[in-house]
Amino acid sequence: MQFGSVGPRGLVLLAAVGVLGLVLAVHGWAHRETGAVPGTLSNPSGAAHAPATAARSTPPTAGVTPPAQSGQSAAAGAPGPLLASQPFAQYSFVIWPGTPTPAAKAALTGLSVSVRRQPSGLSVTASVNGQGTGSAHFYPAGVSVYVVEAAMGDDSGASDYNLGDDGLVVTDSHGRIIS
Amino acid sequence: MSAPKSAAANRPTQARPSSSWRTTAAEIAACWGPTAGRVLLGLVLAWFGYHELVQPALWTGYVPAVSSGSAPGVILVLAHGWLLLVLAAALIAGIWVRGTAGVAAVLLAEVVIWLAVKGGLSDLTLRDAGVLGLALCLTGATKQRFVLTS
Repeated sequence: MQFGSVGPRGLVLLAAVGVLGLVLAVHGWAHRETGAVPGTLSNPSGAAHAPATAARSTPPTAGVTPPAQSGQSAAAGAPGPLLASQPFAQYSFVIWPGTPTPAAKAALTGLSVSVRRQPSGLSVTASVNGQGTGSAHFYPAGVSVYVVEAAMGDDSGASDYNLGDDGLVVTDSHGRIIS
Repeated sequence: MSAPKSAAANRPTQARPSSSWRTTAAEIAACWGPTAGRVLLGLVLAWFGYHELVQPALWTGYVPAVSSGSAPGVILVLAHGWLLLVLAAALIAGIWVRGTAGVAAVLLAEVVIWLAVKGGLSDLTLRDAGVLGLALCLTGATKQRFVLTS
């Protein structure tokens, strides 16, 4: 069976691309954390039943966190870096306050995120469609909620095939990430 | 009576250019179609390979049976991305086109099967099935232009 031919130039080209790929792989490995989306909504176990909730990027501090209400978990932590300074800022779409834009709605594909006003703040619930309802997290008033979706191309209909690039970010009134 | 004869006499001369045009178009398509398919498939593989290499964490959600963002998932994505990049270079340069397309078809079949198992038949699944079809076509393409043979 004849697959084709290759000469010295072709071999050199393949070798060069192979080396380039290795260099990129080393770069990708070294920066694997910086490209990741915080508060990922993907299932940590790889199974399809664990509820997805927004993960913390900073540990919570009791002084900032309002008392948790019944059935809710307090989630606000010490303010972290500015969302605008993060590499995923360009993929972040605000869903609270205000009405989500069409891009934000597209980013929410496959996810169920609800934000409700509470007497002393906001209650945010996030989950993946078809994986049950996540627990509510409580934040003080004045926060903004963003959905992060690095690539829209993995969304189809009401499903998101790759939750590794999805996340939920909550910032304080100064734009600093608190969750 | 002369008018119908004249019309009949004109028919062959009218059909000839059309036939010639079709023949020429078919020859061009047969000549350049596999080359265009090869280069475009190579660009698709290069795009995905590059992004898997530079931002592997974003692609770990596609890796079956490992947790998203985990080290094994990142390593698998990097290996997949590297292979895609090399395959892309081989396709674009016209090196071992049929064999390279065969390997690409195997990779794409794995992607299509996994997407189908995970989410059923969707636009994503069928789109990748189309790309898989292109790769399969190239495994049988014997005429290629712009190949790096030296």
